[in-house]
Amino acid sequence: MTYGCLPVSATRWIGHDVARKEDRSLLSGRTRFIDDVVLPQMLHCAILRSPLPHAHISSIDTSEAETLPGVIAVVTGADALAWCKPAGSAPKRWGVHSIATDTVRFVGEPVAAVAAVSRAAAEDALERITVDYEPLEPVTDPFAAMEAGSPLVIEDKGTNVMLQCELTWGEVDAAFAGAAHVFTERFRWNRLGANPMETFGVISEWDPGTLELTVHGSIQSPSLSALGMASTLRIPSNKVNVKSMAHGGSFGGKGGGRGMDITAMLSRKAGGRPVKWIEDRMEYLVAGGGQAWDRHYEASIAVDAGGRVTALTVTLVDDIGATGEGFGAIGAAKPIAAFTGPYAIGAARYNLTLVATNKTPVSAYRGMGPPPHFLVLEQMMDVAARALEIDPAELRRINFIPSDQFPYTIPSGNEYDSGSYAEVLDAALDLAGYKEMRDTQADARAQGRLVGIGVASTIEPGVFDWNAYSIVGMSQTGVPEGATVSIDMLGAITVRVGFSLEGQGQYTLVSQLVADFFAVDLDDVRVVQLDTQSAPPSFGPGGSRLGVAITAAALGACRRLAAKMCSVVAGLFGVPVDDVVLWDGVFTVKEREGVEMSVAQVAGLMLARCDLLPDGIDPLPEATYVWTAPGRTKADDQGRAKSYLTAAQSVHVVMVEIDPETGVVEILEYCLADDCGTRLNPATVEGQTEGSLAQGVGAALYEEYVYDDEGQPLVGTLADYLIPTINEIPTTKKTAVVTPSPFTPLGAKGCGEGAIHITPAAVMCAVNDALAPEGVMLREVPASPRRVWNLIQERKA
Amino acid sequence: MSGELRVRLRVNGTTREALVEPRTTLADLLRNELGLTGTHVGCEHGVCGACTVVVDGRAARSCLMLAVQADGAEVTTIEGLAGADGSLHPIQEAFAQEHGLQCGFCTPGILMALHALLVENPEAGEDEIRDVLGGQLCRCTGYQSIMRSALRAAADVRAAALEVAG
Repeated sequence: MTYGCLPVSATRWIGHDVARKEDRSLLSGRTRFIDDVVLPQMLHCAILRSPLPHAHISSIDTSEAETLPGVIAVVTGADALAWCKPAGSAPKRWGVHSIATDTVRFVGEPVAAVAAVSRAAAEDALERITVDYEPLEPVTDPFAAMEAGSPLVIEDKGTNVMLQCELTWGEVDAAFAGAAHVFTERFRWNRLGANPMETFGVISEWDPGTLELTVHGSIQSPSLSALGMASTLRIPSNKVNVKSMAHGGSFGGKGGGRGMDITAMLSRKAGGRPVKWIEDRMEYLVAGGGQAWDRHYEASIAVDAGGRVTALTVTLVDDIGATGEGFGAIGAAKPIAAFTGPYAIGAARYNLTLVATNKTPVSAYRGMGPPPHFLVLEQMMDVAARALEIDPAELRRINFIPSDQFPYTIPSGNEYDSGSYAEVLDAALDLAGYKEMRDTQADARAQGRLVGIGVASTIEPGVFDWNAYSIVGMSQTGVPEGATVSIDMLGAITVRVGFSLEGQGQYTLVSQLVADFFAVDLDDVRVVQLDTQSAPPSFGPGGSRLGVAITAAALGACRRLAAKMCSVVAGLFGVPVDDVVLWDGVFTVKEREGVEMSVAQVAGLMLARCDLLPDGIDPLPEATYVWTAPGRTKADDQGRAKSYLTAAQSVHVVMVEIDPETGVVEILEYCLADDCGTRLNPATVEGQTEGSLAQGVGAALYEEYVYDDEGQPLVGTLADYLIPTINEIPTTKKTAVVTPSPFTPLGAKGCGEGAIHITPAAVMCAVNDALAPEGVMLREVPASPRRVWNLIQERKA
Repeated sequence: MSGELRVRLRVNGTTREALVEPRTTLADLLRNELGLTGTHVGCEHGVCGACTVVVDGRAARSCLMLAVQADGAEVTTIEGLAGADGSLHPIQEAFAQEHGLQCGFCTPGILMALHALLVENPEAGEDEIRDVLGGQLCRCTGYQSIMRSALRAAADVRAAALEVAG
């Protein structure tokens, strides 16, 4: 394969299925995760958590715990008040201290913490801490929380409404007034979340001599965490150094800010001994960074006589939980980046209300908000298709943004880079054998079976930008990502980046790019992680960005380094620099046949033969480049901006059968076509699709954080929170269309969040297609057996 | 807690001894006392399967087993799967080739569960593999690549056995 930006006749690595460099170590159990790290004098932390959803703390007595053998330090809210600021949050100023200071606001909120010589000793000590609570009335329903006289989650706010706004893009009212058809529905997306197989973990080490903090952890974005700790712990940001270990998945759901601050306080109180906290699964499920999207929707679409959707309005009431510390509100803003999906809908309105309740604060989760939004939009498309008796695939086709209209600006302001939506639809329908599938369905229905087919299409916004979240208070534009490429005296290449292994194969991807640029073997390139005190600006994985961002950064560094090396060669041979060319790993000079130098020779010369080095060129064969997405704009007062750089698109075709006796939904067939531009390592792209699809199946059918009316969590183990197993996930048929992005160096689009954008929508479209002959529609996910069965029974009654 | 007990067991072919509290799990013994941190702990309540090791030839959740219950047992962990020279076991090789892992945290447990199955039943097919993997949670891969890897591993393990026999 060839790419204009790579100086080789054909790539050996980019665009090919490449086995991951990460795997040998992972498969041997040698990769070091945070709980594998042991530091000298290290202590272990355990956290005492609130058993109540809402209460005043009238007193805490830690004296008995402090005298136990092996207990070195205990912290409470008093320490947090003395040393810390409240957490950063979205919306702003809805953060609280890492340990409750006078009020607990959700079950599981930290109340005290112990550092001891072992985790067991620390947990034993928690039992000797006495807390007196004065229970307060909790509020767990966001609509009740908005009523006058509701208990207040954060009393001095005077309200539980964190943010309320209405954004209007285009002539919405006129479109509805002139519509041939208007459809309105309500939907409920229940709270779910990330649940990576490794929970959060951290080791904090305070140096009482230098007043510097060193942190190791299972951290998705080391630089963001370092800034957060500097802020809450009131430490200059250049005195916090964070190094992330390889981590066992994240999916946005490794919050842990409180644990980081608590261990830092404990280390300070323990005279600087390192303090480790490993969140256990129950802590994760009850109060970790793994809960997201607790949403109530009302949506309307205006449709013309030909089935074209002319306007979309969505009203969202989003239950954010007790504080904004998990930045879950970003997930309510992100749909603005792809509000109207793949459709040429000319006008839209978004009315959103973020509400505090006495539940765990919501955090990020893969997809960061659009998956519920697209569930709503795709159900609305099917509501229209059923009413107008148009095939759902055809309804989507007539509403698609045409291929010749890219780049295409959607009403909510973002610009889609490229796409071939009808082609992707055709590919999916062909793969599924859609017509035969409908025939099979008709036969099944004739036998009284509840068989349904869902056809859905959505966008995956890729390469996130903070400007997409301006309405919830994010002020930045751009998300810089850097890489340093250096070549040693013997020609070995090292790339330094600011993030750790998380599972997407990014170190392999960086190696592919750099190995192709200098035409060397994959194993000749090593990728290493720098901690935050050394790394160039970096965010790391998140928002379907890193594949595009890190290859662009590495490419920029390679180009810079090659230019420097060209200058060396030019000086050596006394020719203008423009006469020197790097091609297929060799520097040659125009019109000087036989004059050539390898990359290793030039690097070796720079470092070992300063006598030959041209004047004005330093001897370091190294370059750094920090990339940020081009052409981004500051958001306007309606939240409109060029935000996410790429727009991948996909179509899923799903066939399900519902057992009317039990309400169980079984997936019979699952076919998909997607277009995420150039596939840099097709095997890992496929892995992202399959993994994300499984999370989407979980969202559609199984996963739910359940609370009772009093705010007590009813999910405490993985026997309650139903992560799909191999028995629940269908074997998929997949095909790809490739429409390169004109905005990224290699034509790739963000694809890491992937199928979770569409899978819940597609499965629910199929479920509702199956239920249509019964005259009922399920407007709530997950489509658990209880919900489906109840719906069928209500109809019968 | 007082009253530590002496545990003596064979781990990856080597006899090991440790003093443990009665409440210490086998997972904690392996990780914290014996330094074998390739066994990962994902839930500590027996659902996720990340901590699976082989005890006397059978897959076991090391988070649900007390260390003292393993006294006298023969235990194999992920560190014992590859050859002494670091050469990957055919199961590990198959997962590398078929992209059967992403973050790799759940992977040691999956490999050990499969290893126990294929030692016990080298002819195991998709149904038997699915049955065993039904007890192992993975949040990254979506399982399809794990099944591809496992089927390849089973075939490769059988081929390797034939080669030895032949």
